[in-house]
Amino acid sequence: MSKMKLDIIEKRLKAKKISQYEIFLIERNIFENIFLKNKPENEREIENTEYFLRILNQSENKTGIGIIKGNSMNLQDIDDTIETCLRVSKTNAISKYSFPEKKSLPEISMVDKKVLNDPVGIKNDLYEELIQVVNKQKDVIPTFGRFRIHVHHSFLRNSNQLNLEASKTFFFSELSLKAEKDNKLAEYWTVNYFKEREHLNFEHRIKKWADLAIDNLKAELPKPNPKTIVIFPPSVLKIAINSVIGFHTLGMTHFEKISAFSLEEKIASDNFSLKDNGLLEGGLNTSPWDGEGNPHQKTELINQGVFKNRLYDQKYALLENAVSTGNGIRDDDGSVINGISNFTILPGEISLDEMISNINEGYYIDKFSWLNPDPISGFFGAEIRNGYYIQNGEFKNPIKQGNVSGNVLQMINNCLYISKEREFAENSLFPYIAFTNLHISS
Amino acid sequence: MNEKSYDEIFSLFEEITNGFKRKNQYFDILYDSISSVKILKSPSAEDISINKKTSGVVARTFLGAWKEIASDNLSDIKKIHELIPKVSNMGNKIAEFEGWTLNEEIIPKKDSSKIPIGKKLEKIREIYDYVQNFDNRIIRTEVRYMEFLIERIFSNNEGSLLRQLIPRIKLYIIPIAREGAVVDYDYYAKNGEIGFEIFDEITTEKLDTIAQNSLDMLKAITPPSGRSTVILDPSLTGIIAHESFGHGLEADQVLRERSYLKQYLHKKVASDICKIYDTPSLSGPIGSYFFDDEGIRAGKNVLVENGILKNFIYDRRTASELNTIPQGNGRRESFAHPINVRMSNTYFEPGDHELNEMISETHNGVILTHANFGMEDPIGGGMQVTSKKGYLIENGEKTKILRSVALSGSVLELLQNIDAISKDTLKLDGGTCGKGSEDFIPVSSGGSYMRVNNAIISQG
Repeated sequence: MSKMKLDIIEKRLKAKKISQYEIFLIERNIFENIFLKNKPENEREIENTEYFLRILNQSENKTGIGIIKGNSMNLQDIDDTIETCLRVSKTNAISKYSFPEKKSLPEISMVDKKVLNDPVGIKNDLYEELIQVVNKQKDVIPTFGRFRIHVHHSFLRNSNQLNLEASKTFFFSELSLKAEKDNKLAEYWTVNYFKEREHLNFEHRIKKWADLAIDNLKAELPKPNPKTIVIFPPSVLKIAINSVIGFHTLGMTHFEKISAFSLEEKIASDNFSLKDNGLLEGGLNTSPWDGEGNPHQKTELINQGVFKNRLYDQKYALLENAVSTGNGIRDDDGSVINGISNFTILPGEISLDEMISNINEGYYIDKFSWLNPDPISGFFGAEIRNGYYIQNGEFKNPIKQGNVSGNVLQMINNCLYISKEREFAENSLFPYIAFTNLHISS
Repeated sequence: MNEKSYDEIFSLFEEITNGFKRKNQYFDILYDSISSVKILKSPSAEDISINKKTSGVVARTFLGAWKEIASDNLSDIKKIHELIPKVSNMGNKIAEFEGWTLNEEIIPKKDSSKIPIGKKLEKIREIYDYVQNFDNRIIRTEVRYMEFLIERIFSNNEGSLLRQLIPRIKLYIIPIAREGAVVDYDYYAKNGEIGFEIFDEITTEKLDTIAQNSLDMLKAITPPSGRSTVILDPSLTGIIAHESFGHGLEADQVLRERSYLKQYLHKKVASDICKIYDTPSLSGPIGSYFFDDEGIRAGKNVLVENGILKNFIYDRRTASELNTIPQGNGRRESFAHPINVRMSNTYFEPGDHELNEMISETHNGVILTHANFGMEDPIGGGMQVTSKKGYLIENGEKTKILRSVALSGSVLELLQNIDAISKDTLKLDGGTCGKGSEDFIPVSSGGSYMRVNNAIISQG
C-alpha cells in the first residue's frame, strides 16, 4: 500500500518535471493498553501514515530546499503539495546541498517477526505478563501505566535512484509503583522505550522498581556536600551524555562555532571512550540508513579521553569537506537535522558492587525529577527523585529531594570508576559511572 | 487523509454517531487537522517546512474502559462501525453531560495564512541579521517561527456537534554569546492565539534588549545554594502554579490514588493571599480553546481561594467518577494520542504589593527570572523548577546577575511561605506540557511577582 502511495507521488513529481526530489514516507501502527491501578482503562489502535517531500532548487553557490509534510492521497492535494514545495525551494537559500547517492548498505534486521505478524496478540500477551508481575510484588501497588507496541515501515526515494525501505518494531512502557506506610507515600515512576522483547525483562525490572519505591518511603534529604562522588546509572547517563556530549560532537556545532571540542584534544578522563553506532544490535535508533538515506556506521568519538571524530549529516559534511557519518535525523516536520544515532561507552574493569564498596562517602542517583542539562554550557541542577547515600562502601540510606548540580563537560574529566556491566537505555549502551566533584545541596 | 469540507464531516459524524445509542453506550468521534509553517534561521540554516494539512480521526466508546480507534484515513471511517463494539445497557457506565453545538473560528488581526512565505522569511532574516550583528560577541543567533492552524470537529451521542479553528504562533529568538571561554545565552519567547501581529512588538529597541540580555549572561555568576528568600517573576510564579502544584490536582491522579493533594480538598494548602485558577476559556493565550477534545465547554477551574484548595481538574471520565462538572480539561496532542486530564492557562491571581517594596524589604535573597523548565511530583509533593537566570538581592537591592537557579523542596511548604504577591497585571507565558514525557499540548501559565521565604535554591 505504501509503495503504491510512493509510486503515485513520484509519478506526479516526474509529471511536473522536477529533477531533484526526495519522498520520505512513514507508516506507523501503534497498539496500546493504558491501565488504571491494575485494571484496563483504554485500549487503543492507531494507524498514521505521513509523507514528506523535499525539492531542491540549485543555483551557483546555494541550494533552496522546500520541505512539505502531508497525508492526503487525493491527487489534487498531492499536486498542491508539490507546487508549494517547489515554491518554497525558490524562496530560501542555504549552502550547497545535494541528496545522497546510492551506496551499499549494511544488512540489518530491526523487526521482531512475531510482533510484525501478530502485534495485537503479542501486545496483549506482554500486557498480561506485565500486570501479573506487578501483582506479584509485595508492599507496592501500581497507580497507572501504559504498554504499547510500535510497528513502523519507512520508505525513502530520491531523484538519485535511492529506493530504500525499512521496518522496525519496538516497545514502550510507563509504570508508577506506589508504596505507602504510616500515611507516607512514595513511588517509582519510570518511562522507557525498549528495542527488543528480551530487553523488557519484566521479572527483573519490576522487582527492582518495586524495591526502589519501598526504599523511597524511608528516604532522607541528602546531606549538603560541595564536592562529592556520585554514581549515575545508564538511564541517567543517557540524558547527560547524549544531550551535551552528543551536541558538541556534531558537525553542525563545529561549523556554527559552538562546539567545545577540538579534534585530538583531551576532553575526558583516560578511562572514557565513546562511540556513535547506528548499527548497534539492540539500539533503539539502529537502522541500515539514516534520515536522508546515507548508510549508518560506527564512529569513534572519544578514545581514552581524546576527541577523535565529529558526526556529520549530508549538509554539514558538504560544508566541512567531510563525509557523512550517517547522522542525519529526520525531524517531525520532515527536515533533516544533524544528530546522534546510538551511543556506546566502553565498559570499565570493576563491577558496580566493587565500585560502591570502594566509595567511602558518596551518592547513587537512580532517578532525577528531570535531568535537563544545558547542551551548550553543560551546566545542570536536578532534584533527586530516587537515590541512595553511600557510606563506608555500602548504601547507608535512601535519599530524595535535594539537588545535584555540576557540568557535564567537566564531569567526563572526572570519571573515577566505570563499571564492567553495561545496560541498554533506549539508544544507549552504557555502564555505570562514578563521577567526582559534584555538588549536593538540600 | 483525503480532505472533506467541515459540513461533509459534520454530516458523516452525525450519521456514524447515530449508530450508537446513548442509553447503550457513550460514543464520540473527533476530527483533528493541523497546518503549519516553520522557519528556522541560524548561521548555517534557513529551513522552511510546511505542513499543508495533515489530519485524522479518532473514535471511542466507554464500556467500563475506553476502546479507541484512530486513523489518518477518513475514507475508511465507516469501518468504525466494525471496529467499535456495539453493546446494550452500558450507557450508565459514564455520566451524561448535556449536548451542545458550536462552530467558531478565531480570526487574528493579521491573518498569517494570507501572508506570503517570502514575506515571513524576510521578517525572520531581518531579526536574525539585526541580532547577529549587534555585537561581535554574539556568535550564533537562532530565530524560530512556528505558525499553526488547528481545526477540531467533534460529535458525540449526547447531541454535541462542535467545530473550532484556532491559529497559534510561537516565536523564539536565541542569541548565543561568547567571551573567552564563557559561552551563555538568554532567549526571547512569545506565543499565543495570535496572527502576524506577533511581530508588532519586535522593535529594534526590543531586539537590543534581547541581544543585551544574552551578553549580560557572560557576567553571570553561580547562584548561592541553601535556604533563601526568593522573588519569582511571573514566568516562575506560573511554573509553580502549573508544574509544581497543578499536576497534583489533575483528577486522574486522584483516581489513581497518586496525588498527595487528595486529602487536602477544602483544606488549607497555601498562604491566605493565594488564589490559583486554570481557565481554558481565556481569550488570547496559547492554552485556550472553546471546547476540549471530548466536547466539554471550556470554563474556569477555581483551584485555590484564600489559600484553601477548592477543586481538582477533571476530564469527562474523572468528573463522572467523582460526581462533578468538568470545565474542559480532557485534551489530546492529536488524533493519534490519548485523552488525559490536562491544564490549560494556569495562574496565580495578582496581589496588592509593589514589586519595588518587595525587593527593598528583602535584606538578602535571590530573584529568579525567566522560567526554564519544571517537573511535577504528584505523589511526593516535591518540586523542581529552574530559571534561566537570576539576580542577587543584597541589602534590599537587586545586584549581580546569576546563572540558572533551581528551586526545590516541598510544594506545600513553598505555597505556605508566600508572603507577598505583586499588583502587576497578570502575565501568561506559553509553553508545551507533556503528561509524563509525552502527549505534548500547548499551555500557558503565569501570575505576577511573588515572594517566598525560606525556599531551597541551588545551581540549575
